[in-house]
Amino acid sequence: MLDQNVAAEVLSCATRTGGDFAEIFLEDRRSQSLSMRASRIEAVSTSRMHGAGIRVFDGTRAIYVHTNDTSREGLMDCAAQAAAAIRGREPGKPVGFSRWTAAREEEIRLLPTDTPAARKAEKLRAADAAARSVSDEIVQVTCGFADSVQDVLICNTEGVFVTDRRVYSRFRVSAVASDGHENQSGTVSPGAGVGFELFDTVDPEDCGRMAATRARTMLHADNCPAGVYPVVIDGGFGGVIFHEACGHSLEATSVAYGLSEFSGKLGQQIAAECVTAVDDGTIPGEWGSTHIDDEGMPTTRLVLIRNGILENYMIDKLGGRRMNMAPTGSGRRESYQWAPTSRMRNTYIAAGHDDEAAMIATMGTGLYAKSMGGGSVNPATGEFNFAVEEGYWVENGVIVRPVRGASLIGKGGEILRKIDRVGGNMSMAQGMCGSSSGSIPVNVGQPMIRVSSITVGGK
Amino acid sequence: MSQMDLFIQKLLAAAKAAGVDPAEVCYVESSSFSVEAMEGKIEQYEVSSARRLGLRGAVEGRMGYASTEAFDDGAIAMLVSGVKDSAALAEAEEQEEIYGMDDAYPELTPVESDIDGVSPEDKIAMCLRMEEAAKAFDARISKSQGAFVGTSRGLMRLVNSKGLDLTAETPQGGILSAGVFLVAKDGDSTTTGGHFEATRRVGDFDPVAVGQAAAEEAVSQLHARPVESGVYKAVLRWDVMQAMLATFSGVFSAENAQKKLSLLAGREGETIAAPCVTLIDDPLLPGGMATAAFDADGAACRTKAVILDGVLETLLHNRKTAKKQGVETTGNASRTGVGGPVRVAPTNLFLQPGTRSAADLIRDMDDGLLITDISGLHAGANPISGDFSLIARGFLVVNGEIGRPVEQITVAGNFYQLLKEIREVGSDLIFQGRSIGSPSVAVEAISVSGADSVQP
Repeated sequence: MLDQNVAAEVLSCATRTGGDFAEIFLEDRRSQSLSMRASRIEAVSTSRMHGAGIRVFDGTRAIYVHTNDTSREGLMDCAAQAAAAIRGREPGKPVGFSRWTAAREEEIRLLPTDTPAARKAEKLRAADAAARSVSDEIVQVTCGFADSVQDVLICNTEGVFVTDRRVYSRFRVSAVASDGHENQSGTVSPGAGVGFELFDTVDPEDCGRMAATRARTMLHADNCPAGVYPVVIDGGFGGVIFHEACGHSLEATSVAYGLSEFSGKLGQQIAAECVTAVDDGTIPGEWGSTHIDDEGMPTTRLVLIRNGILENYMIDKLGGRRMNMAPTGSGRRESYQWAPTSRMRNTYIAAGHDDEAAMIATMGTGLYAKSMGGGSVNPATGEFNFAVEEGYWVENGVIVRPVRGASLIGKGGEILRKIDRVGGNMSMAQGMCGSSSGSIPVNVGQPMIRVSSITVGGK
Repeated sequence: MSQMDLFIQKLLAAAKAAGVDPAEVCYVESSSFSVEAMEGKIEQYEVSSARRLGLRGAVEGRMGYASTEAFDDGAIAMLVSGVKDSAALAEAEEQEEIYGMDDAYPELTPVESDIDGVSPEDKIAMCLRMEEAAKAFDARISKSQGAFVGTSRGLMRLVNSKGLDLTAETPQGGILSAGVFLVAKDGDSTTTGGHFEATRRVGDFDPVAVGQAAAEEAVSQLHARPVESGVYKAVLRWDVMQAMLATFSGVFSAENAQKKLSLLAGREGETIAAPCVTLIDDPLLPGGMATAAFDADGAACRTKAVILDGVLETLLHNRKTAKKQGVETTGNASRTGVGGPVRVAPTNLFLQPGTRSAADLIRDMDDGLLITDISGLHAGANPISGDFSLIARGFLVVNGEIGRPVEQITVAGNFYQLLKEIREVGSDLIFQGRSIGSPSVAVEAISVSGADSVQP
């Protein structure tokens, strides 16, 4: 993708005014997406993204310049612009690349760029038909499939020179149920860091039926009561609770400036003893996995919280400088258009020992959140909120009816201490996480857990 | 002829030779420069330039799409084959069409802009002054989460094989945006708050005022606590209503209505909102962020009321949705990216302001809530059903006076219902660097759940 001599020349140019670190991130990404509405393929689009970002550090200052022009002249121009932001110091030393490696790559059997769009379209048709067969109340089904092959080259003045290929595939089915007055929707969207072999494990018809059933259940649901209740949150996407309520506050982006409620709390009890949480980039083929991060560092498995005690933060290179701690392979970015920062990968609460049925049977009156929607958090205050996509009301330990419109709100630190049961079967689900380095694929996960009390927003 | 002109010319010729006819190129370029400071130190510089080109074209009447950011030798072949592969699968009942020039295009009011004269040093100085002003305003401001000043400019060009060739600045005159975000601390209470503004005339931008406004926003929420659950009268501050409109603007799209994703399908002429509600889509708004003479279909833009005195006047159309419904396009064709289908989007969309100030609305409410912040819109709002359940902050209003701050509550309701329950629209219409704007609004009833409610 880039000649080593050119790379060395560009990095030297970037540090000629005294920058103490420079990096090139070069990317070429081929993506395809298909969408279906009203049982017809609506659009297929193919795109190629191509560009480079040059980053220079001056202590804890960062300069980032990006461009689509990846010719030698284009990169030199970017490097010169970046260098111009730093003034009056000694030029950096000449760059020699010592680590010339390609990141580990699992075998991708069915590369998206080699898979005809017509084969992808068949999967959409199957899901659409299955969703519509669930009920006459299903008035609309939209499906989509998107895949991409991202080739990157990362090199820096520390001698790193690596290439990596990241392959992603994601399927999405969304069904709308209507009684003529009201609409409710249900969405299922599995994805993985694999090619078309995604469909070895994902059955489009199952996805269609699940989305339709969820929409239909919610159409016939009552509004969720509001108040403070015990809440049982199911596994899989339920892990968004940890992602929002705690994960973001453990990223260097928040911690480095003392903006996180967990700043300075390493080694302290921040969660109930039953909580162990992990951020793991090493699981092969998962949606949030990485081989190397977007700063060229090998990925890691980090135990964030062990038995309630805070063990690790997620740290990128710049965050590491600011915190005086080593990076953890957590530097990620959406594309060359974004400077990387500390981000999550596959983040989950590890399996515990509690029985799932007993968890609900002993909860009294409250909410069973079977499927969560997305959420957001303010890392400075820990305030989070997330939507319950599919919820059930529990009275005296018995599930009595579906409820809709519920949201869960609270503060991260509080909720971690209020987790009182952790089930034995951990599962993960896919999401796109948006933050200051763009939107990136992450997995969230957990077993079924119970929170002793949480504010439920409803009507 | 520029290199890009040449590339476009070669591309359209190659498309035609390959049987892609008609074909259209959408080309965008943008550049930006921003500076971010934190705690008096410059932390980040970001300079970007981007070029992206999309090709859409018909093969036997079926439309295909492809786009690229690389303009090398392989790019033309990749675009043409991408379009052909994609067209071969397209089976939507109504296919998109490509049109030549419209009869006439409106003249846009020129905007004066001096943002290009702002040097990096000026930007740094502005950042530092915003932070200093914030800290000087109140000792309880404990930290800055960052101050930023950025300028950006963009350009969009549509060229097709039917003779269309249009270029627009996006936005007109570029934009300078600047703001600061703060943490306030007092005892065991921590809050955040910020303020940002956007302008094209640097002289209008007052870093000290922005810093002070941000500080006031942050400290005003110190020691906030929830209120009891219940149904409250409320005033939604302009920025809260702006966020609501932005989240739910898709309900006014004819495309969504035709696809049964909006409950406003076929309801033109019906009363869907309170009589005080008039919602305008104005692509000709002087200085608007979405101000444009033509849309993504190449159709002329025009100003229209979507809701007039509570009555749904029209949905927003592109040429395809208009044709299906047998009406004229409203000039609201939009592309989310250069390489995708033409959809529908509002331009400059806003609630027409009333005559009385937000303060008047609050005074008249007697008892209720002033909502100043909502979050979680991407998850807690369902654009199809209109349901929302959002974490909110604000103030308790007692006897028409703004009282103690309120946090950790959720406000829940339904957007369609909210439109009917607007009691009055304030006079404070604000866009603040966005294409969707709103004044503050008073609403009859909003359902609130707070943390200190009692479990039954």
